[in-house]
Amino acid sequence: MNLGRVLAILLKDLRDAMRDGRIIVLLALPIGLAVFYNATIEDDDELPKASVAIVDPAGGDVGRELRSAAGKSVDVEFVEARDEAAARRLVAEDDSAVAVIVAPALRGRPARAEVLVGADASPTAQSVVALVPDALTRAAGREPTAQTQVRSVAATDQKPYELIEQRALAVLIMIVMLAAFVAMMVVPIQTAEELETGTFGALRLAATGPEILAAKALAGFIYGAVGIAVTVAITKLDVHDPLLFYGAGLAMIVSLVGFGLLLGLLVPNANAINTYGSFGLFPVIGLAAAAFFVDSGILMTILDVLPFSQAARLMGDGLSAQQPFDAGPVAWAVIAAWALLGYAILARIASRKEL
Amino acid sequence: MATPAVHVVDLTKHYGDVHALDGVSLQTEPGEIFGLLGHNGAGKSTLIRILTGRAKPTSGRAQVLGHEVPRELEAVRGEINLVAEMPNVYQRATAKENLELFCTLYGVPKSRGTDALEQVRLSSVAGRKVKTFSTGMRQRLLLARALLNNPRVLFLDEPTRGLDPQSARDLHEIVSVLAQGGSTIFLTTHDMNEADKLCQRVAFLADGKVVALDTPRALKLGLRNEAPEVDVVLEDGSDTRLKLGEPRDAQQLQDLIGARRVRSLHSLEPTLADVFIHLAGRSLQDDHADEEEHKR
Repeated sequence: MNLGRVLAILLKDLRDAMRDGRIIVLLALPIGLAVFYNATIEDDDELPKASVAIVDPAGGDVGRELRSAAGKSVDVEFVEARDEAAARRLVAEDDSAVAVIVAPALRGRPARAEVLVGADASPTAQSVVALVPDALTRAAGREPTAQTQVRSVAATDQKPYELIEQRALAVLIMIVMLAAFVAMMVVPIQTAEELETGTFGALRLAATGPEILAAKALAGFIYGAVGIAVTVAITKLDVHDPLLFYGAGLAMIVSLVGFGLLLGLLVPNANAINTYGSFGLFPVIGLAAAAFFVDSGILMTILDVLPFSQAARLMGDGLSAQQPFDAGPVAWAVIAAWALLGYAILARIASRKEL
Repeated sequence: MATPAVHVVDLTKHYGDVHALDGVSLQTEPGEIFGLLGHNGAGKSTLIRILTGRAKPTSGRAQVLGHEVPRELEAVRGEINLVAEMPNVYQRATAKENLELFCTLYGVPKSRGTDALEQVRLSSVAGRKVKTFSTGMRQRLLLARALLNNPRVLFLDEPTRGLDPQSARDLHEIVSVLAQGGSTIFLTTHDMNEADKLCQRVAFLADGKVVALDTPRALKLGLRNEAPEVDVVLEDGSDTRLKLGEPRDAQQLQDLIGARRVRSLHSLEPTLADVFIHLAGRSLQDDHADEEEHKR
């Protein structure tokens, strides 16, 4: 394979896409919808709050470290207490869930603090208590010998959509829509148009069929990657695990692009794909969204074997610290299997069509 | 002896039960303009697809410049090119961008694109989007693209279809110059006059088989022996066609000449179209009529 030729065709495809109104609409629509939902949906999924009474003669280092350690699992609100008695009163009267009384002259001496909790301390209060040793050590200028990370675990009856902000979930589904549009409409339209107008044949004189198809697949990956990055940037989506989130998004595009190229080869009519292709995408987007709402039954089994629903699960895990699906290697394997299947069928059909 | 530009031996190509090519053998020499004539579906495009490496033969051998195609296509990719019947250029790109892409693909400097545009007299519209071009301009752009790699073998598939006479004449001139420079031109056309005027040799393809292959003159002479005719225009403006092989017609001609009633006399040379009808049973123009009917 001649990479120079692949690159030349890829650049031509990218330039041509930016001049094709149909493709611009297909790429802009999901991003626009993501921005719209992001702006209009109000979240009520706030972090659990904990009021912490603090006595810190050192000047607030412990409080800052405690807030940092709590991260995105607990929204810590500090109440300055003058002394231990005041802090104890705040806890006793249920105005604060926890009180932290830091020993004076912390630096250079063993870190010490007294922690007060109510008799019926909530799990949120207990998680704050668990973070105090780390915060103390860091405030004393040392790295903790062991690091504690508190992560809330979803209750067994909580559905995944309850663990992700509604706003973020809407944006995620629009990203799935973007990936589906790229793989199942943009790539097939560009491929079909080349076959329809005979330019594919012209390219075949100067390049091999696999080089042309590779360039078209790469163009699809680029539309998808840029589209996801732009959507996340514009909506300021708070991605907990970017590697997992972007990796799953790209894997979904890679697995679908093979089928998109296949569609372009089998239906060499760009306008027909543009007109009717979106109907075929509703199930894709619907089933990806269903991954967040369905947790049993035959539909669950179907979702288990589909690449876009598995990718949606992985992206959901990347979005939330609570890992609503905990989708692991099986999800990746399902996506990889579909990708292999798609490209294998594509190679077979391209060979039979002598492309 | 020079390597033949195109050498095809007993070539077959089957699409299921359809035998698109059925034992085709032919050879073209460097610098030759070779015409391939035949009805729609006779196998012309299939043969070009195989020779340009875009289809595999079912059996037989196809060589271009001594290399087996499509197996050794990479060795000749830079030496061949094609002007397709379909105006397969990128409509949303400019003429210049169209050619620059193929300069990159062929690994030739982009200045070749400028030269090629000049060669086909499109320099003034180099920066214009191709979708604004007329059919003739698009066809000239196709030719410019085919000239980029300075091909030793140039395949032309119905290159003048839909062109005005001036554009067709321009294309003929460019093709003739290329052949004089040593390039082999492999031309398929429905236009018998074009084939007669341009080609040193022509082959008639019917039902996937070569039914005749010779120079246009030899093919026409072969038919003339069967029925030489003359068109006689009389002084009163009327005209009549007489067959010299018929004793009655020959006597009538003698009488007309003797009576000084003849204003002009034209010997009716058989055309390539006559040869084709004789060999294939129907005119190539019938294909156009069929196409028009199909469009309606």
